[in-house]
Amino acid sequence: LLLAGSAQAELNVSGLANTCNNCHGTGGVSAGESMPSIAGLPEGYLKNIMMEWKTGKRPSANMTRLISGYTDEEIAALAAHYSKLPWVPAKQKTDPKLVKLGKKVTEKCSGCHGDTGKSDDADTPSLHGQWSQYLQLEALKYRDDAFNMPNKQMVKAAKKLSDEEIKAVAEFYASQSK
Amino acid sequence: ARAGAAKARVVVIGGGYAGATAAKYVKLGDAAIDVTLIEPNKIYTSCPLSNEVIVGHRDIKTLEIGYDGLKKRGINVLHDFVTGVDRAKKTVTTQGGKTLAYDALVVSPGIDFHYTGIEGYNESMIEDIPHAYKAGPQTLLLKKQLEAMPDGGKFVIVVPKGPFRCPPGPYERASLVANYFKHHGKTKSKVIIMDANDSHSKKGLFNQAWAKLYGWEKEGLGANPNGMIEWVKGAEGGTVTKLDAKSKTVSSDFVDVKADVLNIIPPHKAGKIAADAGLTGTQGNNFEKGWCKVEPMTMASAVDPNIYVVGDSCVAGEMPLYGNPNAAFDMPKSAHIAMTQAKVAAAAIVAKVNGQPVPNPYYANTCYSVVGDDYGISVAHLYRVENGTFKYIKEGSGVSMMTLPDKSPVPAAYRKLEAEYAAGWLRNVMADSFS
Ligand SMILES: Cc1cc2nc3c(=O)[nH]c(=O)nc-3n(C[C@H](O)[C@H](O)[C@H](O)COP(=O)(O)OP(=O)(O)OC[C@H]3O[C@@H](n4cnc5c(N)ncnc54)[C@H](O)[C@@H]3O)c2cc1C
Ligand code: HEC
Ligand code: HEC
Repeated sequence: LLLAGSAQAELNVSGLANTCNNCHGTGGVSAGESMPSIAGLPEGYLKNIMMEWKTGKRPSANMTRLISGYTDEEIAALAAHYSKLPWVPAKQKTDPKLVKLGKKVTEKCSGCHGDTGKSDDADTPSLHGQWSQYLQLEALKYRDDAFNMPNKQMVKAAKKLSDEEIKAVAEFYASQSK
Repeated sequence: ARAGAAKARVVVIGGGYAGATAAKYVKLGDAAIDVTLIEPNKIYTSCPLSNEVIVGHRDIKTLEIGYDGLKKRGINVLHDFVTGVDRAKKTVTTQGGKTLAYDALVVSPGIDFHYTGIEGYNESMIEDIPHAYKAGPQTLLLKKQLEAMPDGGKFVIVVPKGPFRCPPGPYERASLVANYFKHHGKTKSKVIIMDANDSHSKKGLFNQAWAKLYGWEKEGLGANPNGMIEWVKGAEGGTVTKLDAKSKTVSSDFVDVKADVLNIIPPHKAGKIAADAGLTGTQGNNFEKGWCKVEPMTMASAVDPNIYVVGDSCVAGEMPLYGNPNAAFDMPKSAHIAMTQAKVAAAAIVAKVNGQPVPNPYYANTCYSVVGDDYGISVAHLYRVENGTFKYIKEGSGVSMMTLPDKSPVPAAYRKLEAEYAAGWLRNVMADSFS
């Protein structure tokens, strides 16, 4: 008990987060188009996907490997930490034509993602102002059987999209930086 | 303290990934600490992804960044070169004639090269025989030489005994040069890696990629008549001991290889100022001699508690990573780990200044290597400190998958993602340290 107590006291969440921010940006706000911002995502979503990576349920080129080195307590602390930081939309240029198409295509997504990608649901990530390239790469993963993503509703939604529509939805959500 | 005086003075020597991050994170941790970063260059050029510049995939401008971001955070940036450290007086002196007092000193001068060791080779030759292992003009010089090389030529990379910065770097370079040959109708050309070591970083993944992309079959000089990459290990003649600069011929005990383009990467040591300050080991093996030993909890120098050594200059840990005690003895020298070391040091400095306990440190590394079109691979390392010593965390570390868990080949989509992530990672490490 004493040991558990002292281990608890030692958990240094900002130090832990520093190992993430190399890739996800200072304070979890990404400066790289292919890397997601993670500050301000819902705690439930953050915790869920990290545990899915850790338990091998969710494939990822990097995150499965990295997250296996963190304890469940640390993952919970990181989820709480990032969820409390402000969501900062990425400054990026988007293509107005694709944004227009994306707006139309995402009408069928709004039930879960809201009109702009801003959702109040604890298990749904924010998409408004996320990096377009990241959103596109992620949508492609949901569509691709090679990844076998665990969220079957998203897989179903993505499978209906053409390559151009995938670009368009990414550009649309990326442009909704409010 | 005097009214209006800073709470403490932190001086940082060297504004690379390590030093810039240390300066920024001390300031983020406590704005009342006075931070001065000393760096001679006004523009820093990132080594990470500079191999892409050599083969024309990337503009060198995308690797350049200045110090305005740090200045905006209230950090004093002094463009000067540190020539001396007086550890007793706790001052540093510069070429420009300044003397600065410190309460805590961060030493992060990166690496310097040993130009001895290869008979017939010396520093004056790098304008003809580039190392391209400090990014900038050297990178562009090697690019020019590659472009001028005729088909059927030999591009020879001489790899020193470890430790050297970016353990996968030479092999990433070899891959991209072969890719260049493929795209420029120079398929009769070869990249020959003369390696002083008997193994290398991400070897399985590199060999897999080379087989898929560049006709690789096996190790050894001349082993791949239809392939574009040859790797000669130390035990089989890879250790270059002699150079005939005029004919660009390198020799080992077993073989002579005449190069059309010769890229000698000299052995490394900690940046000179670290040695001048008496922070480097003077005996022991390759991983001890010439490098700065540090305290695991704080990154403080093992010989001076007021000095923190972060980045390529330090030797952090003595854990045999690959089961071979001579293979990779310490944390790899990478920008990624340099930054986590700097963050640990910054947190320790802020805690010390404020009389708080030392926060628990965590160290992480990732090195992406882009080895072909839409083809990236990576390695990750995670370290913690247990009972005062570094501990390598096997879970949380490792390389990209060689196969899927069911042994089927890894879909190309995974390799493409890692190539994309490498580019996003670069933007983030540059921003996390300099902005
Ligand atoms: C080809 C190549 C590819 C690489 N790829 C990757 C990669 O993909 N990922 C990765 O993580 N790492 C990579 N690296 C490694 C990475 O570049 C280094 O590990 C990293 O730069 C280390 O940072 P540093 O701050 O310790 O040293 P440096 O970046 O070298 O910075 C040191 C700074 O100190 C300054 N300095 C030196 N002496 C003094 C003095 N006396 N006074 C004042 N200033 C001084 C120098 O001017 C320099 O700006 C690569 C390296 C190479 C060569
Ligand atoms: C070496 C780079 C790297 C490091 C270090 C890293 N990540 Fe990631 N992370 C990625 C990449 C690439 C993705 C996007 C691909 C994916 O989801 O697999 C990602 C995705 C994520 C996502 C999903 C975001 C979303 O919108 O769905 C979360 C959450 C996350 N990482 C959290 C973390 C945390 C917490 C850490 C530290 C413990 C961390 N990451 C460390 C590269 C990294
Ligand atoms: C039934 C609910 C639902 C519908 C419909 C839906 N989504 Fe999602 N979406 C989710 C959830 C939940 C997640 C997080 C999934 C996970 O954990 O893997 C998600 C994730 C995503 C992501 C990845 C975000 C990130 O940060 O990693 C993208 C992009 C996305 N959705 C786009 C769309 C688009 C475009 C549509 C419509 C064509 C759509 N979604 C329809 C629920 C839905």
